[in-house]
Amino acid sequence: MSKRKSDSSTGRHRRRLPALATAGPVSVWMILFVTLPMLFIIYISFMSRGVFGDVVYTFSLNSYHTLLDSTYFKVISKSLEAALLTTVLCLALGYPFAYYIARKPPETASKLIMLIMIPFWTNSLMRLNSWLLLFQTSGPVNAFLQWTGITDHPVTFIYTDALVILGLITNMLPFAVLPLYSSIEKLENSLLEASSDLGATPGQTFLRVTLPLTFPGIFSAIILVFIPSLGIYTVSDILGGGKVLYIGNIIRNQFGSIRNWPLGAALSVLLLVITGLLIFIYTRFAKIEDMEVV
Amino acid sequence: MKRIPAIILSLALMLPLAACGGGSGADSSSPSPSSSAAAASTELNVYMWQQYISDDLIANFEKENNCKVNLSYMSDNADAITKLTSGGGDEYDLVMTCDAYMDSLVAGNYVQKLNLDNIPNSSNINESYWTNKDYCVPYLMNYIYVVYNSATCPIEITSYNDLINPALKGQISTIDGARNLFPIALVALGYDPNTTNKDEIAAAYDWLTKFNDNVVAYGNAEQNLTNGTASVALTYDGNASWAMSEMGDKNTLKVADPFSDPVQLGFDLYVIPTGAKHVDLAEKFLNYICDPSVMAKNLEEYPYSCPNDAAVEQASDNYKNDPARDFSYKQNVFFQKDVGDALTIYNDYYQKLKVGE
Repeated sequence: MSKRKSDSSTGRHRRRLPALATAGPVSVWMILFVTLPMLFIIYISFMSRGVFGDVVYTFSLNSYHTLLDSTYFKVISKSLEAALLTTVLCLALGYPFAYYIARKPPETASKLIMLIMIPFWTNSLMRLNSWLLLFQTSGPVNAFLQWTGITDHPVTFIYTDALVILGLITNMLPFAVLPLYSSIEKLENSLLEASSDLGATPGQTFLRVTLPLTFPGIFSAIILVFIPSLGIYTVSDILGGGKVLYIGNIIRNQFGSIRNWPLGAALSVLLLVITGLLIFIYTRFAKIEDMEVV
Repeated sequence: MKRIPAIILSLALMLPLAACGGGSGADSSSPSPSSSAAAASTELNVYMWQQYISDDLIANFEKENNCKVNLSYMSDNADAITKLTSGGGDEYDLVMTCDAYMDSLVAGNYVQKLNLDNIPNSSNINESYWTNKDYCVPYLMNYIYVVYNSATCPIEITSYNDLINPALKGQISTIDGARNLFPIALVALGYDPNTTNKDEIAAAYDWLTKFNDNVVAYGNAEQNLTNGTASVALTYDGNASWAMSEMGDKNTLKVADPFSDPVQLGFDLYVIPTGAKHVDLAEKFLNYICDPSVMAKNLEEYPYSCPNDAAVEQASDNYKNDPARDFSYKQNVFFQKDVGDALTIYNDYYQKLKVGE
């Protein structure tokens, strides 16, 4: 009896070792550098700000009370709007493109995917600054527009909401194309053929067969684009010229120039809650879809 | 299995607390800084802005004193304050900050009193530019004034109120920050630039909303002037100097002059943090940069305004004839002061301004 017991426990040990070796390093990393800082942020958000901008470790709900101010509501709704617009446009641009790539032979497809990745070999700050150079008042885009006679005076493109959205889209597009590509690529051609044999028009086939079958890819794309664009602040910082403020900028300012860490932490917690909610909704949908695919 | 992550978690949760405890513990146990009779230090840790002091001068100082100078850089004034107030000040022997924070730093006991007898060259510094003389040595200074492109600016600018003229819509590139912009609005309205009166700050907010309509961008004023995005800038004289020399022979940038309102003058200065370990070397360094010939060389590389009168006298003609510093109202200035708790009111309004209410 006792022998069997020890046997089974070494058996469990044998199963543990590979698990420790494979998932262990990542788990330690995540606990040290993601979970703990996050817990610390939540902890700070319940503390108060000192006169010198330091964190005073006494419990207070002040920061959360401040969040009720209409300013923050405006910033959050503005950020959600921008993230939503970015997501919709990334899907609208990314889906046809992913579809096009997925229908190419694998060799061509991998080259096309490569083309999407190449711009990301350059640092994103560098790319953002080059957008500024391109679109600035004395830049090439304005020079071209004036040369062709489309306008007679330079147009102010930079430091506008539109350019910020453009920057967000170029930054996020690969995160939409890649999951879309992988789910469209799995699509069986025979299903499309069957649909058309049964009398469906191409439009009907797309809406009734292609679209539902690629839902998991679409949801992944939405999550991968929406969440980062909600929190990112470098794009609005550089292309918005400090005039376009999203929630990420406000958080950055609390930890930087304004030095109200508890409020910054509370805003981060709010952002975490919003993100968590989205992921919750996502897992709901994705599970149902996965079942349908199987 | 489940216990291991729990142990790590609890250990790591204690880390920040342990770090805090260690910081304050080191504070109290460090030797008295004024005991200069001890052996000379061989290491100096300085925290300051990047691209703000000549490398040659640092190398020279290292050679003269047989020591190593470690420069670390901040990206925001707030960084230095955070270092000083959160218990990390004793890692440094010299920290750069600005005059606006001095009252708080002294009140909070975050900086040490200086022994000016050990810094004789500090007598070269113009007294009128020296706030909190016991606690800091001014390094360089910045006027915040109006520069405009005479070729493209649609109106003439002689006061702050000209900046809210609707004719300038989308034309102004300006410095950022609540405590930089509110004083401008307060001066334009005839109030104390460092007021803590809520109604006056509210009125300044209204003024700034009109100003904001004319602003094309916050920050990067010098680039926006040279690339034509903005025709007017509210910026530092050092940045204006850069923009003017960038335009070269075709320079059409001019400092707004005459100008009826006082302009803001700010100082970057060095303080010795409480608990600093190499005070003797820090004093030597301060004395070194206050030497007129040393500072004059530094100004060649970094042509900012300088409170060291003797150094300015020795500076090159290029520096002395810089059009960015050629304006008639250098004495008509005001200073940014610590506003204490009222800073929260300023910040709240500033956020509101940027979000657009």
